[in-house]
Amino acid sequence: MICMGVKMNMVSNVKQGFVNYKELDKKDKFNFWKEALINNALYILLIIAVIYTYTQNQRFLTVNSIVNIVSLSAANIPIACGIAGCIVLTGTDLSAGRIVGLTACISASLLQSATYATKMFPNLPVLPIPLVILIVIIVGGIIGWVNGFFVAKFQLHPFIVTLATQLIVYGLLLMYIMINGNNGQPLSGLDKSFKTFVTGSVVSLFGVPIPNYVWYACIVVAIMWFIWNKTTFGKNMFAVGSNPEAANVSGVNVMKTTIMVHTLAGCMYGITGFIESARIGSNQANTGLNYECDAIAACVIGGVSFVGGTGKIRGVVLGVFLLRIIFVALNFLSINQNTQYIIKGLIILIACAIDMRKYLVRK
Amino acid sequence: MKKRFLATMLCLTMAVTLFTGCSSSKNNTPKNNSTKETSTDSSKADNEAENVVDTAGDKADLSDANVAVFYYTYSDTYIASVRTALDKQLDSLGVTYQDYDSNSNQTTQNEQIDTAISTGATLLIVNIVTSGSVDASQAIVDKASAAGIPIIFFNRAVEGDAEEGTVLGSYDKCAFVGTDAPEAGHMQGTMIGEYVVKNFDSIDLNGDGKISYAMFMGQLGNVEAIYRTQYGVEDANAVLKANNLPELEYFDSSNSDRYQVDQDGTWSATAANNYMTTNLSQFNEENGNMIELVICNNDGMAEGAISALNVKGYNLGDGTSKTIPVFGVDATDAAKQLIADGKMTGTIKQDAEGMADCIAFLTQNAAGGKNVMDGTDSYNISANVSNKIYIPYATYTGE
Repeated sequence: MICMGVKMNMVSNVKQGFVNYKELDKKDKFNFWKEALINNALYILLIIAVIYTYTQNQRFLTVNSIVNIVSLSAANIPIACGIAGCIVLTGTDLSAGRIVGLTACISASLLQSATYATKMFPNLPVLPIPLVILIVIIVGGIIGWVNGFFVAKFQLHPFIVTLATQLIVYGLLLMYIMINGNNGQPLSGLDKSFKTFVTGSVVSLFGVPIPNYVWYACIVVAIMWFIWNKTTFGKNMFAVGSNPEAANVSGVNVMKTTIMVHTLAGCMYGITGFIESARIGSNQANTGLNYECDAIAACVIGGVSFVGGTGKIRGVVLGVFLLRIIFVALNFLSINQNTQYIIKGLIILIACAIDMRKYLVRK
Repeated sequence: MKKRFLATMLCLTMAVTLFTGCSSSKNNTPKNNSTKETSTDSSKADNEAENVVDTAGDKADLSDANVAVFYYTYSDTYIASVRTALDKQLDSLGVTYQDYDSNSNQTTQNEQIDTAISTGATLLIVNIVTSGSVDASQAIVDKASAAGIPIIFFNRAVEGDAEEGTVLGSYDKCAFVGTDAPEAGHMQGTMIGEYVVKNFDSIDLNGDGKISYAMFMGQLGNVEAIYRTQYGVEDANAVLKANNLPELEYFDSSNSDRYQVDQDGTWSATAANNYMTTNLSQFNEENGNMIELVICNNDGMAEGAISALNVKGYNLGDGTSKTIPVFGVDATDAAKQLIADGKMTGTIKQDAEGMADCIAFLTQNAAGGKNVMDGTDSYNISANVSNKIYIPYATYTGE
């Protein structure tokens, strides 16, 4: 019944839209199409890109390739979901990549197999996986809390705060990988149970195994969707993002909300670190470098605006996919590496311009 | 208010434990730190320097030396092992030294060098950021010669092959300790060639009589990466040709670069892993065009590629899965372990300890007031430039 109702509703909506459209004069009709074209330019470009890549290289749309795109995107989803909250608050988070690096190295060091020759903590048994997840979430959360505390308490711009914490975290990471005579060597030799937990597969699509971390990304998305849409904290976040003073006047605890958003983001980086650790299999000081750039780009492409107070989890996920599809397509087309930088830059620039344009028109 | 205070305290405690946790578990670093501290203090106060002299005994004449060591980045695995070895050597020499992290930025490094000179450094040991650039290295040599202090470059090339001697020959108190950049590529190529000749049929999975390979490059515009990318394949092909076998073929015929490069220029496992995962989604055994050989500029990238192969059920080292030969450079501990486990095939060893020993020897010369290159006849010195020492590479395919 509900389904029918929704269907009826949709049909009448479309009908109404069509009637409205018919009532427009010629100039307005032209404008209508122009607007529709520009507002959806990104999706149109994407479809063109996909079709073009397919015509050039038919393997682009095989099951294998699609599973590959999905799994590469899934690896980036937690960090993007985390950073999106900071962007909703008109902020940003430059420390994300380094936190991923630190938590990845922590996970790896705690989950090296007991027989591995150059184990970092030789006497440590392989810890239970849930405990390690908890540890990295707490470590990420603490750093996120520090970010949030300084942003909220001292009214510092997140750019400055996270610029500072990014350096601090990098320093900690460099110290961490030097301990116990590890001397900066990559942390690998991960326990089999850990690798299976993350990169193993329980479901296959037409014989192509889907790695488990895709499901973890789905869980993260579900949790984040719930937090953003169904909790008071989520509503408060958007209120603070669009106008902190108004939010304050209407009884929202701005400080608490800001700290919570950053802490939550930190927890997400912890999860990303945990997944990356097993996915890449080799963890060193460079791990996580520049991860925040792709994540921020994905959020902005997905419509989480730096203007603040706007954005949807759906958009973030879409943004991650869009960016990833383009990256993979560039590979399938064997485009020259130098040109790839230019194309990536242009995509981010155009996406931001379209996003801001929407906002300016609304204003 | 109380709650917030509690939370702050809690966070602080955790942060402090994190710090102490790090330092207390270090084996040798605390000792390093303490010596460094006392010796740095000694440079400020002469009285204290004499104390150090007393304890240092016969090495007393070196305690006046104030050595500044510049590393291109702390995050590089190989450089980290050189740093550990060199710190130990300098500690045992009893000289005052200070390590700097240039964080992959030439500007930062130049500024650090200026600072070090102004704080009274008597010897510079430089792992230059911009490798192979005469302009960058000449600027640093000029700083040293203006201050009249010796300078030792190490690891990363200071000049290209064409301009050999222009920088190193311009100042008599200058030396270079490094590796012959093309050598690693040549050795890797030869190793690959010989391996393929021996195992041609088992490597050629689709039986088309050709080996298709993937190449992962660490960084664009880096001399070492360029040579390894070039000779890793060329020399292998030369060996194959000599044995009347067809040359290696890049797996993706439409890619005219014939390599995939880490776009962040960090030689990272992540980049190799992402490329390899994507490659395997279109080049696999079902399509009959599987990548049959993987060549990487360093071991980190090799690890990333192996991790991607593992997901698809290759290189598991369990005796039953198929193994795609993967080659790297550096012989890191992790790579040695992978080779021992049968997941990786071979790598080229860069001798971190040997390099540190040689640098320490030159440091002793310079600090003792002798010519920098005194008594270095036993080392492998470049034929063209008299103050350029090469630390040889070695192939590594298991103990």
